Amino acid sequence: MHFEMLCRPAATAVRYTLDRGESITCEVGAMVAMTTGLTVSTTSKSRGGGGGIVKGLKRMFSGENFFLNHFTSQEDQQTLVIAPTMMGDCRHHRLSGGTMIVQGSSWLASSGEIEIDTTWQGFTSALFSGESMFWVRCSGRGDLFLSSYGAIYAVPVSGQYTVDTGHIVAFEETLRYRIGKASPSLIGSFLGGEGLVCKFEGQGLLYCQSHNAPSLGKLLGPKLKPR
Amino acid sequence: MDVEIRDRPAFAHLLVQMEKGDKIIAEAGAMASMSGQLQMTTRFSGGPRGALLRRLFASESIFINEFSAQASGHVVLTQPYPGDIVAVDLRGTTIFLQPGAFLACEPGITLGLGWAGVRSLIAREGLFRLKASGHGRVWFGAYGAVVPRDVDGELIVDSGHLVAYEPTIGIQVGLAAGIFSSFFSGEGIITRVRGQGKIYLQSRSFGGLAAWTNAHLY
Repeated sequence: MHFEMLCRPAATAVRYTLDRGESITCEVGAMVAMTTGLTVSTTSKSRGGGGGIVKGLKRMFSGENFFLNHFTSQEDQQTLVIAPTMMGDCRHHRLSGGTMIVQGSSWLASSGEIEIDTTWQGFTSALFSGESMFWVRCSGRGDLFLSSYGAIYAVPVSGQYTVDTGHIVAFEETLRYRIGKASPSLIGSFLGGEGLVCKFEGQGLLYCQSHNAPSLGKLLGPKLKPR
Repeated sequence: MDVEIRDRPAFAHLLVQMEKGDKIIAEAGAMASMSGQLQMTTRFSGGPRGALLRRLFASESIFINEFSAQASGHVVLTQPYPGDIVAVDLRGTTIFLQPGAFLACEPGITLGLGWAGVRSLIAREGLFRLKASGHGRVWFGAYGAVVPRDVDGELIVDSGHLVAYEPTIGIQVGLAAGIFSSFFSGEGIITRVRGQGKIYLQSRSFGGLAAWTNAHLY
């Protein structure tokens, strides 16, 4: 399988070249174009694996669709183009046995061998992290594709790292985070416009998004007509 | 301190690489992420009085955040809307920024509030403008791409597209043409920029996005 990122970072799309037997699982509605040698199957399971209705329902809670689309190539040199709904960036991450915790709506696609599940990060995270209640847990060996509103940047964390709420895309399971305040004083954190932040600890890779939709909404909302 | 503007022009943001003792000042809420070695402190922008005026009249935040490094680390600063970011290096000079444009500056810069005049309010640019002066770099953002332009004489700019300008530039508000075509050409009120100096324009206007979104809501 080969892939190429097109039009980064404002309107990123991913173009795959698949050989016979290779497959990609992606978000429903992400397909933009494909050649005729690909078959599509829509299920609520990860390919060939467990899952079913319960996993589909859990996925709905994490801000993803109940169903998944599996694209399998029947011939060599087939092309598939996928893109997220929102304008923004896509990022590739190679999983080699580890686990990646992905923010609800940031999971775009993964190669066939990756197991996708939903995970709960605790009450404080659900309420204050600015992300969805449930997270997507990706494990196994293969390629993972993330998407977000804004550009995605990677941070190799070693020690402590602070991320503003709403800016997390994904992180390796070797990292732990707790909700805290941005500056030593509580009043300062809120007056400074940062409020609560996510404080990461440990060793591992973290992906963040440069922009977040609620900030845009806060500016745009008051200018919209009442409905 | 090494500052890089990344992912221009659509989703520009600043990666500020800091060594021990470095400081940077940023607009409240601009921080996306930062290393644990950095400390954030919040204070009034330009003293309590100036800050209050800024809040009341320029719809800017009262507070600014100062990031200081205890050891080497980085902070990522961003703006709420998608668009470009530009840096200007001030050497004892001044630049005027429209409300909402300011993103960050070095500690040698003083932020103040300048009266922009009632005319400016009519042009939907606000009664006040942010005045940045001193020695150091200032970063400001825009919705859309930023187009720098040297003005010598007069230039007509649509309202909502002017982001920053040098103090040698004077602003006047006028109608695009006669009453009829001003209202039906979609240009309406325009800004007349006069003088000799540099101005920064944005390729999109936020008011335009709001109008477009409103037209598509059911």
